[in-house]
Amino acid sequence: MTELKAQEAQVKAEPDRRPVRRNGLTHGRGLVGVVLIGVIVLLGVLAPLLAPFSPQEQIEGANLLGPSGTHPFGTDEVNRDVFSRVLYGIRIDLFICLIAVPAGALLGGLIGLVASQTGIADVFAQRAFDVVLAFPPIILGIGIAAITGTGVLPVVCVVIGAELPLFGRLVRTATLKVRELPYVDAAESMGASRAWVLRKHIVPNILDSVIVQLALSASGAVFILSAMNFLGIGVKPPEPSLGGVLADAMAQLGSNTMYAVGPLLVIVVLVLGFQLIAQGLLAARRGGAS
Amino acid sequence: MTDPVLTIDGLSVRFPGATAVEDVSLALLPDEVLAVVGESGSGKSVTALAVLGLLPPGATATGSVAFDGQELLGLDEEALRRVRGARIALVFQEPSTALNPVERVGWQIGEVLRAHGVKSRQARAERVGELLGQVGIPPERARDYPHQFSGGQKQRIVLALALAADPDVLIADEPTTALDVTVQAEILALLRELQRGRRLAVLLITHNMGVVADLADRVAVMRDGRVLETQDVRRLFAAPSTEYARELLASVPRLGRQGRAVRPATEAAPVFAVDDLVVDYPGRKAALDRITLAVTPGEVLGLVGESGSGKTTLGRVAVGRLGAASGTVRLFGTDLAGLGRRELRALRKRIGVVHQDPAASLDPRRTVLESITEPLDVHRVGTPATRVARAEELLEQVALGRSYGSRLPRELSGGQRQRVALARALALEPDLLLADEPTSALDVSVQASVLELFAELQEAHGFACLFISHDLAVVNQVADRVAVMRNGQLVESGPTGEVLTRPSSAYTRALVDSVPVPDPDEQRARRLPTVLTSLKNTA
Repeated sequence: MTELKAQEAQVKAEPDRRPVRRNGLTHGRGLVGVVLIGVIVLLGVLAPLLAPFSPQEQIEGANLLGPSGTHPFGTDEVNRDVFSRVLYGIRIDLFICLIAVPAGALLGGLIGLVASQTGIADVFAQRAFDVVLAFPPIILGIGIAAITGTGVLPVVCVVIGAELPLFGRLVRTATLKVRELPYVDAAESMGASRAWVLRKHIVPNILDSVIVQLALSASGAVFILSAMNFLGIGVKPPEPSLGGVLADAMAQLGSNTMYAVGPLLVIVVLVLGFQLIAQGLLAARRGGAS
Repeated sequence: MTDPVLTIDGLSVRFPGATAVEDVSLALLPDEVLAVVGESGSGKSVTALAVLGLLPPGATATGSVAFDGQELLGLDEEALRRVRGARIALVFQEPSTALNPVERVGWQIGEVLRAHGVKSRQARAERVGELLGQVGIPPERARDYPHQFSGGQKQRIVLALALAADPDVLIADEPTTALDVTVQAEILALLRELQRGRRLAVLLITHNMGVVADLADRVAVMRDGRVLETQDVRRLFAAPSTEYARELLASVPRLGRQGRAVRPATEAAPVFAVDDLVVDYPGRKAALDRITLAVTPGEVLGLVGESGSGKTTLGRVAVGRLGAASGTVRLFGTDLAGLGRRELRALRKRIGVVHQDPAASLDPRRTVLESITEPLDVHRVGTPATRVARAEELLEQVALGRSYGSRLPRELSGGQRQRVALARALALEPDLLLADEPTSALDVSVQASVLELFAELQEAHGFACLFISHDLAVVNQVADRVAVMRNGQLVESGPTGEVLTRPSSAYTRALVDSVPVPDPDEQRARRLPTVLTSLKNTA
């Protein structure tokens, strides 16, 4: 008997107990994503220092110049420096992402949590999500812009609208799944209240999937807001935005190719970077679960 | 001596970073049952999979597996397929996943026959009927789907599938583990009959010493990927040559063995009592049907029954998780009917709960210490510092030690997790402990030590306990009184010794008789016919 007991008592410690979030971001794809996003964020934050010209400044004699040492992305049709406009465009795009995605996640998550608790709220939330999802984001954007006028506000609204059902459904399903697990049953059997179970067991255990979705949503948001700015229902010119600069460049493809390629490159890197982060987190979560 | 049909020689199986099986040599003679026993992680299943080249990707097997003069290891997929099913058949633990749910069982057996060359539809149909008849399923049920059969019937059909191509060797991996004990007894009888009738060589993989005693001619004991000893079954049970085999046998709880000392019944008011209790699940027949039962202070009441008997439902009623359709439920003298959430929570403070699956009953993100202090946190007992002190004290009591406090559940073994669950359940010094199959997910040696701990703690704390289990031998070891349930009804209840040795109902008798005794001679003397007849009488 003693030998068996000793065997059972044997220590099986795994050295690695860092949270999944950190693991996913410091290895492989996740790391690449972090670096890509980090570079773009730095460019945006440091725009006032890095930009050789003001984004609105019209430089004399510099009409649709090709890339050069002074103008890395050349100049546009009204003599502005494209590189500077792209740097400032990053700022506004990231700002919208930073406001709208977490807002959508928070709101959607809360709705999802409430929906998972009561049947009637669930029915309402699900049908409301269906209605929101029925509109493609761009159509929704045009509709909102028709009421509010163009600007940052309709873009933020559309991104929130697009994220709301995603996070709502995700949190609801994850909550319903965790709620059936024996450790939640154990907590309830020991007399824990609903709020306790939510706070101590459910939220911490669904957080990982929410964070993965955040990264995915950020990637989707960059895409949506660029499209809206491109279509002219977003940020008002002459304020620079990535999509806006790209739209202006479309007419000038023959004169200065970098005018279009510059902003496009940044959009691609942002979408890709967030996707890679999401994949890295997901892979870390799968690895951690086993 | 006859030549073995299957010879495993120096077999090693490696997974990236771990060795699952090391230098295993076994010889399976024609017409014999060779049991491979061991606890989880001993490599017994991996050995079986290696024989048929069914190892998961990434695993590499070295050594030799010879079948009928042919080397199987390293054989290409095409050649292996001709051996699998046709010459060596496999039966797994879980019958419900072994059958395709959307096809009729007759068709499924027919497919095997067709794959092995029975071309005519007529001949296939006849053979299917014949096979079903041999495993005790009426041939006309060939047109039924798997969900129309019970678990035991499904395992019979799986056996028919395995035998369809008339194999020489049957590898059965825990063939009765997922089944209720009375059903297990029937399947064991069937296996024995088929083995005799067809002169099959059977490689039986199991953790259950009772099953070994019932079926096996020879036994190989495995541990940590190695074969420790291979013995004639009688010799192994009488005089195991290795220390491990001796301990393994000693760990097996036995029905006949004297259980705990029976304490005198108290007249004190019961901590938990149900009277004429009926519980319904919507759209089904009563889950609990007119149950009257009480647990007195300091008493361990064993609640036994097969799956679907309602024992877990009764446990949920006890913690106020499930309401009564009619009848009364009293917890510590308070009628649960019409109680508000707040009052119910106050009552739950006096109940500790231990669940079956220790892997799932601890929050994977909380450390051991956080899990144990949770009940104290919930009910705001003491200060954070005193809660930690209490949790550390409990860790000592369950023989883990404070150093375990900072670990996460995944860093613990199954037995250790169950000790943590026990510590958590005892944190509030409960008057009633609800233990729902607390040891059925554990290996037998671990089970033995957890049960020992349970008895110690019960002695020290004096809590009453509703101990739910399907394992009569375990209940015999821990319970003062036993209540036997079947189909939502209480069959009988009484002092443990009395009910399990002189049961008054035929069902309990059948239940007791179905438990295979871990002793080859005794088991063979008492086995089936009596069980079957007594079962039929009660059905």
